[in-house]
Amino acid sequence: MNEPILHVEGLAKRFGGLEALGGVNLSVARGDFRAIIGPNGAGKSTFFNTMTGLLRPDAGRVIFEGRDVTGEPPHLLARRGVGRTFQITSVFADLSALENVQVALLAHARRSWSMWPRARSLYAERARELLTLVGLSNADRSAGTLSHGDQKRLELAIALAGEPRLLLLDEPTAGMAAQERLESIRLVHRVARELGLSCVFTEHDMAVVFAVATHVTVMHQGRVLAEGTPAEVRSRREVQQVYLGEAA
Amino acid sequence: MTRWALLAVALVGLPFVLSEFWLFIAIEVLAFALYAMSFNVLLGYGGMLSFGHAAFFGVGGYAAALVMKKAGLPAGIAFALVPLVALAVSAAFAVVIGFFSVHRSGIYFAMLTFAFQMLLYTLALKATGLTGGDDGMTGLKPPGPLARPFYYYYYALALVVPVLYVLYRVVSSPFGYTLRALRANPRRVQYIGVNVRAHQLATFVLSGALAGLAGAIFALSTGNVFPGWLNWTASATPIVMAVLGGVHTFLGPALGAAVYVVLEVLISGRTEYWPLAMGVIIVALVLLLPEGLSSFRRKPA
Repeated sequence: MNEPILHVEGLAKRFGGLEALGGVNLSVARGDFRAIIGPNGAGKSTFFNTMTGLLRPDAGRVIFEGRDVTGEPPHLLARRGVGRTFQITSVFADLSALENVQVALLAHARRSWSMWPRARSLYAERARELLTLVGLSNADRSAGTLSHGDQKRLELAIALAGEPRLLLLDEPTAGMAAQERLESIRLVHRVARELGLSCVFTEHDMAVVFAVATHVTVMHQGRVLAEGTPAEVRSRREVQQVYLGEAA
Repeated sequence: MTRWALLAVALVGLPFVLSEFWLFIAIEVLAFALYAMSFNVLLGYGGMLSFGHAAFFGVGGYAAALVMKKAGLPAGIAFALVPLVALAVSAAFAVVIGFFSVHRSGIYFAMLTFAFQMLLYTLALKATGLTGGDDGMTGLKPPGPLARPFYYYYYALALVVPVLYVLYRVVSSPFGYTLRALRANPRRVQYIGVNVRAHQLATFVLSGALAGLAGAIFALSTGNVFPGWLNWTASATPIVMAVLGGVHTFLGPALGAAVYVVLEVLISGRTEYWPLAMGVIIVALVLLLPEGLSSFRRKPA
């Protein structure tokens, strides 16, 4: 009855001789706030990119809301209700912050083929609401000139414009100072709660993970090493070894 | 508003003040303004640098010539059909070329467009029965009074201005916004639900069709089409015009086309080294105004 919103089975990906993903399983229940952690090179970004159609998996299945979406191109996945952000902040640099969100709203409304009406005022109200929701006030600034933190907020607003039910965030706090990271993930957490979204995010900072995650998946060398609630995962010896190993 | 009114008065009044020779040049400017702007839909808005845009200008020119000379229609009817046929045929070519080219980006896209254009160039040279080969097709003449530059100018104006208005609406539309987002970040735009290849192909076809119309307008003004129109050197022209005028403004490429054409006329009449002189002037302008001539009056950001 309670089918998971996202179910990944045996997802595998090789780059030449390198096994980037060695059969990853993941099940995310509706309303989960799932953290994926692991040292650099554990395969977190490859996992995200293989899940979202950017890379073609060699094996395995991705089931979103009960439907097999393995290898579906990104734009179809987005239309189904999967939103994502990127590790390297990814906004439309020459467009204003407002236009960034407008474009996403237009695409969501399937109006990106509309060639006659003037776009300037279309969905401008809704776009402003979304910018307010993520706490961004510089609506008319060109996105490329925003601070790193504000670009992250903007990227979240772009993702939210598609009214996703599942949000995939690849290192949402990358490049931020420690305090900013906590604020940033709490913002995502609050918004996801408000909108009833399920969320999967990758993260390096354990403080960030333990502040918000309902469940944690630990990846290591392209496989799932451990999984559970934050408290369970923290107490696992192999997890400590992986992280101590990295810290050394 | 007054600026537009002034421009309109100037465009309508030109035939009354220009000599027949300069009116002929004005028609060339209109055709190349459309050509450069069609190119800039690809480059400035879509972020796709084509090295083979002359393919469509040439196809439009040959389509016009074939309708006029080989279709066996009365001159008036053939002439009336020319714009539609030029648009349709160059759009059809753009569908095929675009289908194979937009799957690649950057230099690979540029090289594919280049290769298709050279294919068409060879075809125009070799298919002598259809295209006249090396000699091209000559003696094209609009019917009746339209053969005179005075009237043909208005005919060209009546085609180019509405088409550019449509183009303006397209780049200001949701499609145009999507295109700008696509140029800024083709990977990100997929994840808002945009089919990148389909949008690029549509842009390529729109751009190719309008270049074809420009080629047809120019062909019936000069009365000739030559295979050289399809040669790779011809594809540099819209690039230079667009960059010279400014790729980030809507009318910039049209301004670039006007300056380019007029400079060419002025200099080629004075020295046989005119390509050198043109080159020096264009390099200087691009160095002084890297955002293009249309940025001249804009305050620094």
